[in-house]
Parts: sequence; C-alpha cells; structure tokens
Amino acid sequence: MKPEPQKVLGTMAGALAMLSPEIASAFGQQTSGLSAALAMVLAQEWDRAASRLVEENVRVTGLLERSRLVIRDELLHARIDGVVERIPAIDLRVSALQAENDELRRLLTDVHATVDGAEGAESELLNRLIWDELRESTRRRHLVAVR
Amino acid sequence: MKSELSAYLAKQLPSDDGVAISNLARIPGGASRETWLFDASWTESGAPQTAALVLRKDPPASLVESDRAVEYAFYSAFHGTEVPVPAMRWLESDSRDLGAPFFIMDRITVGETNVRNLSEPPYATSRPMIGRRMFEVLGAIHRFDWSSSEIAPVVAAPTCESAWGEQVGYWEEMVARNEISPQPIVRAAIRWLRRNPPPPAQRVSVIHGDYRVGNFLYSAEGIHGVLDWEMAHLGDPLEDFAWACHELWDRSLISKEQSIEVYEQASGLKVEADALHWWDVFTGVKAQGIWLTGAKSFDDGRSPELMLAYAAYMLTNATDEALLRSLGRGA
Repeated sequence: MKPEPQKVLGTMAGALAMLSPEIASAFGQQTSGLSAALAMVLAQEWDRAASRLVEENVRVTGLLERSRLVIRDELLHARIDGVVERIPAIDLRVSALQAENDELRRLLTDVHATVDGAEGAESELLNRLIWDELRESTRRRHLVAVR
Repeated sequence: MKSELSAYLAKQLPSDDGVAISNLARIPGGASRETWLFDASWTESGAPQTAALVLRKDPPASLVESDRAVEYAFYSAFHGTEVPVPAMRWLESDSRDLGAPFFIMDRITVGETNVRNLSEPPYATSRPMIGRRMFEVLGAIHRFDWSSSEIAPVVAAPTCESAWGEQVGYWEEMVARNEISPQPIVRAAIRWLRRNPPPPAQRVSVIHGDYRVGNFLYSAEGIHGVLDWEMAHLGDPLEDFAWACHELWDRSLISKEQSIEVYEQASGLKVEADALHWWDVFTGVKAQGIWLTGAKSFDDGRSPELMLAYAAYMLTNATDEALLRSLGRGA
C-alpha cells in the first residue's frame, strides 16, 4: 500500500503532537501525546511484524524438534510431535503468524520448565539454547520510544 | 460529574446553601484509579469556606485491581506522622453518588510529581537532597508500627518467613490470569524465585508497593507527599527498596551505595546483597504482572485507557530485558 503505512502513522503522530499545545486540559494533552507515541510504535511494528514472527516461529520450531531428544514426559512429547510434524499452513497474515507463535511459545515455556535446572548434558544444552532464543526474542521485540 | 460531586459534598459539609465545584480536571498519570482535582467552596454559618480536594474514583478496569478501602486506610494511618500524605476526607464504597466507588482527600498544594523535571536545571543542586529524603521517608514507612493503626483490621499480615512466598504466589496468579500471549521469561523468573528463596524478612512492615520517583510530590525544599498507595500491603521491606531502585524507573538521584546507607540508617534494617538481588528479580515479575493485567483490560474492552496499551507495547519487553539481566542471562 502506498503511501506506506508507517509513513502515514508517523505523520499522524506529528499531527497529534502539533495539536497537543492547543488542548486545554492536562489529561487531554496526555491522551494526545499517548496517541502520538502509540502511532510511532505501530509504525515500527507494521514493517517488521511478519518478518519477526516468521523468524521466531522457525527458530522455536527448531528448538522444539531438538527437544524431542530430551523430553521424556509422554504428554509433553506428544504435544511437541503434534506441532513439529504438522504441515505448516501458508498464511502470512500477522494474526495467523501470531496464533502460531503463541502456540509455539506456550509449548516452549513448558519445555523450558522441564529442562531448566535439570541435570544431564542434553538438558543443559537445550536449556542454554532456549535462554539464547529468549534473549533474541527480546531483541526482535525491542521498540524505540519516540518522543 | 460536577453536579453529582456538588450534591455529594453538600451532604458531607455543613454548608448553608450547597457547595460549588470549580477547576474540576482529571489529571494524567497512571491507569489505575481516575484522579480528579477540584476546588470546593461553600458558606458555613455565614463564613465563606474553601477546600482544595482530590477525588480518586474506581475505573471499570485498570492496571491494578485493588481495594480503595485498603488504600484509604494506609493514607489515614500515616497522616500526622513523619511520612507526609494527604489527609483523607470521605470513603464511599457505593456507586450511587458518582457512578463508581471513590474517596476524597485534601490536596497537597506544594510540589510536583513530574519525573522528567527532576533532571532539569532548577533541581540540579537539590536532586541529591531529594534522593536522600526519598530513602529517609521509605525508612520511616518501614519503621512505622502498623499493628495499632487503621491498617491492622483491613490487611492480612504475612509472617517474616511467608512474606516472599505470598507475594510470588499472588503475582504468579496475576500473570497466569492475565497473559494474552505466553510469557516464557517471567515464567522462568518465577521458577528462579521459588528455587532460590530469600532470607526471612527482618520485620513485617507496611509496603507502599509502588514507591519510586513519580509517586511523591517534591520541590527544591524536599518531599511533601507520598501518593498512590493502591498497591500497599504488609510484607518484607526489601520489596519496596528493590522496587524504588529498579532500573526500569530509577533516576539515580543518589548512588545505589548512598541509597543503601540512607535507607539502613532510616529504617534500622540491613540491605543484604543476596536478598536485594532476589527482590530485584521479584520486581521484574511484579512489574510484568502489572503490565499484563492492564493489557488484558484493554484487550478485553474493559478499559479504553491508552496508557494500558502503551505500557503493554513498551514495558513488557523492557521488563523482559531487565529480567534477563537480573537473572544473568542478558546480552
């Protein structure tokens, strides 16, 4: 779509910032300022959301595949099998990618709870790899506060 | 709301012929209770009277689910002590008068809460003094004998041994109830907290619950009022100290070492490094619980407060980053 949405959102944020001094109440000015800040946040996320989610879904699926060698709990193993053996749907809408991301990270959270603090070289390695991914996940989600 | 407020005050004040409300304005800030400033004027036995007041009204949903009667009790207990707080006037649990439960208190008319202004030139020389006062007041809060105050009947007290576990349990429940998407980092932090319990509390104290720059009125002369007691409870004082120093909102008015020195002297307690580290990790978990509660309120449509959405976008990831650092897993 042209003009690009992030440009439109950025312009909206500028317009709100310009209007702010004309708003009489402090609460109104805060609402206007927050609206502008949120528009800038959405502008950042608009461009990268699909890329971020695709990258993360691939990485977390890889970790879950690896975890099949470590996880002994039958129920958890079955949940992991159900996810990694599923033929991926080709739906690149952000909402679909987010739903997949939620399912994968829910499972990753449960896998992490099992290996976090567990003894054994394989569990310790998987634990370290999961922590690496969690650190990377915050880098992917990092937003710059624009004032 | 002006007419409803006027009608309510006319019932409460010994006015000859009603109460006039002026300068009614909602103030910006947190996304828990709505806060409104206003002036009231009336005639009492022929003599004109005025009062500068603050209304705290419950919203439909908020960042923090808390009991206004408890908040009212904490304010009342500290009034007249060395911890400066506004004087309480009326507490109403009924929604009939203003459409929601509320309380009204006197307004402290000196000082400001603005966080950014503290970094500006007018405060360059007084910043260290304000920083010291911040931790002196915190020490006074933790030294306060709550057992014979308005607080005791309305708040359950933990023991020195149970304080940490009760707080972890509460915030673990809040995360579970409110997470819109999975939270692997805060879940890992909760596991760490449970596996590595802190030493027992040195005493069970009043915990403000959100004591930090931005929640007290300050001027170049010092601190004039501690506000926002909606998360107050009883517990381990180090919870408050760690919260006040956390990287998410620390403004480094004085160094960490100076903060500890001032606080230890004011409170009579010791700040042990391991215990402080534990409560620093806990601060991240609690903060995440707060942002997630607000995000769910916004997402469910229970609250239109944009602050909740902003906190969800900006602060949940920043808190995850802080948690990783505090667990030694940061970049």
